[in-house]
Amino acid sequence: MTNIMLPTPHRILSVLKETQAEYTFRVEYDGPTQHGQFFQLSIPKVGEAPISVSGKGEGYVEFTIRKVGRLTQGIFGLQPGDMLFMRGPYGKPFPVDDFKGKDLVVICGGTGMAPVKTMLNHFCDHPEEINSLYLIAGFKDINCVLFTEELEKFKRQEKFHTITTLDNSSAPGFETGMVTAHIPKVPFRDFADYNVAIVGPPVMMHFAALECLKNGAVEDKIWVSFERKMSCAVGKCGHCKINETYVCLEGPVFNYSRAKNLFD
Amino acid sequence: MMITKSELQPRADLYRLLSRLYRVEVDQPLLDALKELRFPQAENETLAEGYAMLRGYLDSCGPEALDDLAVDYATVFLAAGSADGAAAIPCESVYTSPKKLFMQEAWEDVVRIYREKNLARETDHSDLMEDHLALELEYMSLLVHQRAPQDEKYFLENHLLNWVPQLVADIDRYARVDFYKAVGRITLGFLQMEEQLLAALTDGTLRQAPSYSVRAERMDKILAQLKERYRVFAPKRIPKRGPKGTDLIRYGEIDRLSDIVYKEKSHFSAKEVFYPISQTMFYFTGESASQKELEDERDIILIARPCDINAIRRLDNIFLHNGQSDLYYSRMREKLHIFMLECRESFDNCFCVSVGTNVCDDYSVAIRIDDICALAEIRDEDFLPYFEDEVPIEFMPEFVTQNRRNARLPKIRDRQQLGEICKLEYWNQFDEKCIACGGCNTVCPTCSCFDTVDIIYDETSRDGERRRVWSSCMLRDFTQTAGGALARKTQGANMRFKVLHKVYDYNLRFGGSEHMCVGCGRCIDRCPEGIDYLDTVNGLTDALAAAEKEGN
Ligand SMILES: Cc1cc2nc3c(=O)[nH]c(=O)nc-3n(C[C@H](O)[C@H](O)[C@H](O)COP(=O)(O)OP(=O)(O)OC[C@H]3O[C@@H](n4cnc5c(N)ncnc54)[C@H](O)[C@@H]3O)c2cc1C
Ligand code: SF4
Ligand code: SF4
Ligand code: FES
Repeated sequence: MTNIMLPTPHRILSVLKETQAEYTFRVEYDGPTQHGQFFQLSIPKVGEAPISVSGKGEGYVEFTIRKVGRLTQGIFGLQPGDMLFMRGPYGKPFPVDDFKGKDLVVICGGTGMAPVKTMLNHFCDHPEEINSLYLIAGFKDINCVLFTEELEKFKRQEKFHTITTLDNSSAPGFETGMVTAHIPKVPFRDFADYNVAIVGPPVMMHFAALECLKNGAVEDKIWVSFERKMSCAVGKCGHCKINETYVCLEGPVFNYSRAKNLFD
Repeated sequence: MMITKSELQPRADLYRLLSRLYRVEVDQPLLDALKELRFPQAENETLAEGYAMLRGYLDSCGPEALDDLAVDYATVFLAAGSADGAAAIPCESVYTSPKKLFMQEAWEDVVRIYREKNLARETDHSDLMEDHLALELEYMSLLVHQRAPQDEKYFLENHLLNWVPQLVADIDRYARVDFYKAVGRITLGFLQMEEQLLAALTDGTLRQAPSYSVRAERMDKILAQLKERYRVFAPKRIPKRGPKGTDLIRYGEIDRLSDIVYKEKSHFSAKEVFYPISQTMFYFTGESASQKELEDERDIILIARPCDINAIRRLDNIFLHNGQSDLYYSRMREKLHIFMLECRESFDNCFCVSVGTNVCDDYSVAIRIDDICALAEIRDEDFLPYFEDEVPIEFMPEFVTQNRRNARLPKIRDRQQLGEICKLEYWNQFDEKCIACGGCNTVCPTCSCFDTVDIIYDETSRDGERRRVWSSCMLRDFTQTAGGALARKTQGANMRFKVLHKVYDYNLRFGGSEHMCVGCGRCIDRCPEGIDYLDTVNGLTDALAAAEKEGN
C-alpha cells in the first residue's frame, strides 16, 4: 500500500528571482501533471504547503512561490542542488480538453498566474487548438510583475489578446486598473462557445466572476481555483472542507455554478 | 459462519411491528413512533421498496393522515363499503380454502400448533381468528425469541408463505394510500428474507453463536492468554487526571477484568487506540524521509460500547474511502478485533437511540460484565478456544432502548435551504459563548481532523520527524491561511460548520442513512462553557421550522 503522506526528495535545478518576494524553483521531476494541479512541498523541520505547478518541461517541474510565512521563507533559503520534499500531483485540473476549439478567457492576479501558466503555454505553443485566448493579467505594481519573458511571448501570439495591468500605476506596455476594469473588453457576446478561468485572491475571483456575468458570461462557463488551508491534500485532515466538499479532492478548480453554492 | 443472538432482536421486533399494523388501525402514538423510525438498508428489493415507500408516505403525510389510514384500513382489511366483500381479508383460511371461508383446514392446523405450544389468544385479541395475520406474525416473533428455527421454518413454509403473497397483491389492489401498500411489501420482502435465513440456519451453514459464563478470576486467565497474541484495550480509570482533580476515564491496555470501567462513560472515546492523539508518520534523515514502522505487531482487542463501535465506520469512511486509503490508519484498523461491551443503561447526555447507534452487530465477542463474572457471546470462531472450557449459558446481549434525551435532526431539503441555514442569526449566540478550546472535538469518537507538525531534535541538524496531531474545527485558526486570512471568521461560523458536518454534510457525502454523530454526548459532558451540542442541534431544527413558518 502506498503511503500518501510520505514525501520524496527532489533536487532543485535552478532558482529564478521573479520579484523580491516571488521566486520560481525548477525541480527535477519526471511524472505527468495536469494544468492547475499542485504538489505538497516541504522542508524538514519547517512544514508542508500546497504549491501549484507553474511550469513543466522535460525532466522538471517549476513552482513559483511567494514568500509569506515560515515554510515559504525556508524554501527561499534553498539553492540549486538542495533537496525539496514533494508529494503529488494533487487536485482536479482545469478541464482543458473542453476548452479546445473554443474561445478562452483567462483572468489572473499576481501569483494566481502560476496555476494557469502551463495551460497558457500549451495554447501558445498549439494555437490551432483554440479560436482565441483573452488573457487579463493583473499585478500590484511594476515590481510585482511575474513571468516577464512569457508575457512577451503571449503578446506575440496572434491568437492571444493579452492585457497586462497594474492596480494603480502606469508603465510602458501595461494598462492601469484592476483586472475587473478590463473585463468589459472581452467580447463574450461574439463568442460561439467559450470558457473563463479566474485565479487569484478570493476577493479578486469574486468580483471578476461577477463582472464576467455582468458582461454576458454564463455561470457554468466560468472556472475558479480555490485557495484553502490544507494540511494533507488527500482528503483526510479536514482543513479544506466546505460543506460536503473537500477542496483538495474535488478542487482546487471548480465550476462557478458549484463554487457559488459552497457556503463557508 | 455464526449468527449473533443480537440479530434476533430486530427480527422479533419487525414481526411484532407488522403484527400490530395488521391488528387494528394506526393511532397517534404509533404514527409518531413510525415517523421516528430509521429503516435499515435492505438487500431484498421488495423490502427496500417497501421501506422507501413508507418513508415517503411518513415524510409527506399531513394532519389528516390518521383519518385516511383508518378509512384505508377498514376498506382493505374489513371490506368496509364494498358491496361484494372484495377486500384483502387477512385470514389464512380465507385465502387457502376453495370457497374462501373462515375457519377451514388452515385455521384448524394453526389452532393445533398454538395448542401444542400451550398458547392461547390474549383476551384483547379475542376478536381475531387464530389464523389472522396479526397472530401468525406474533407467533413468529415468539419463535424467534425461543430460538426454534425448525418450528419457524415449518410455520413459514406451511402457513405464512402459502397465502401472504396473494394477500399482499390484494392489499396493493384495494389500498388507496401508499401506507398499506408499503406495509404489504415490507411483509412480503421480510418473509422472503426469513425463508433464506431459516434455510441457512437449519441446514447448518449458519449456526447460532455460543455463549459462556466466566467467573472474574477465570476471565483474568483468559485475558492473560489473549495478551500473548493481542493487546487488549478498554476504558480504564486514571486517578486524579481529569478536570478539577477528578478521575479520568480513557482507553488503555488492561490486564484484568477489574481494570475495565464499565459503570461510567469514558471521557475520551475508543478512537485513540487506533488513531492516536499524536503519531509520528516518518523521520527525516539527511536527505530522505523514512516511514515509521509499527512498534508492536500484535493484533488489538478493543472493548467498546455500541456508540464507539458505530463511530469506527464513520472514521473508516474518511481514512479509507475519502480519496485514497491512509496507511497509518489502515494498518491499525486491520488489527482491530471488536469486543462489544454491552450497554443497557443510558448515561447522562447520551442520545444514541435517537440516532440509531444504540445497536451494533459488528463484533467478534459481546460481553456483559459485573463484579463477579462476565457473560460472553462468541461470534468469531478464532476466539472460541479461549472460552470453550467455561460454563455454557444462554446469553443474548441487550442494547439501550431508551435515553433520557433525544435528537431531533434537521431535515434540510436542498442547497438553497442550506445556504439559508448558514445565514441564520441562530449561530451568532456562539460567537461569544464558545471559547474555541476544541475540547468538544477532542472527546468526539467521530472527529478525524488533524494537523501535521514537524519536530526537530536539534537546531543544527536536518534530522527530525513529521507527526500528525488531532486538530479541531472549533479552533480559531483552523482555516487560517498565510497572512492571517480566515475562511470561517467567527465561533458561530465554526459551530455551524461542526454541527452541519455531524448531522448533514457527512451523510450527503457518504450516503446511506447514517449521520456522523453517534450520540455519545461526550462533547456536552466536556464543554467548559456549558454549550450543549444536543440543544444546539434541536435548536437548529426549531430555528429552521420557525424560519419556514415566517417564510410562508
Ligand atoms: C491549491 C493551492 C495552490 C497554491 N499555489 C501556490 C503557488 O503556486 N504559489 C504560492 O506562493 N502559494 C500558493 N499557495 C498558497 C501557499 O500554500 C501558502 O502561501 C503557503 O502555505 C504559506 O505557507 P507558509 O508556511 O510560508 O506560511 P504560514 O503563514 O507560516 O503558514 C503556516 C501553515 O499554514 C498553511 N497555509 C498557510 N497559508 C495557506 C494557504 N494559502 N493555503 C493552504 N495552506 C496554507 C500551511 O500548511 C503552512 O504550513 C497555494 C495554495 C493552495 C491551497
Ligand atoms: S454527541 Fe458529540 S462527541 Fe458524541 S458523537 Fe456526537 S458530536 Fe461527537
Ligand atoms: S468545548 Fe465548548 S467552548 Fe470548547 S470549542 Fe467546543 S463548544 Fe466551544
Ligand atoms: S487538505 Fe486535508 S482534507 Fe483537504
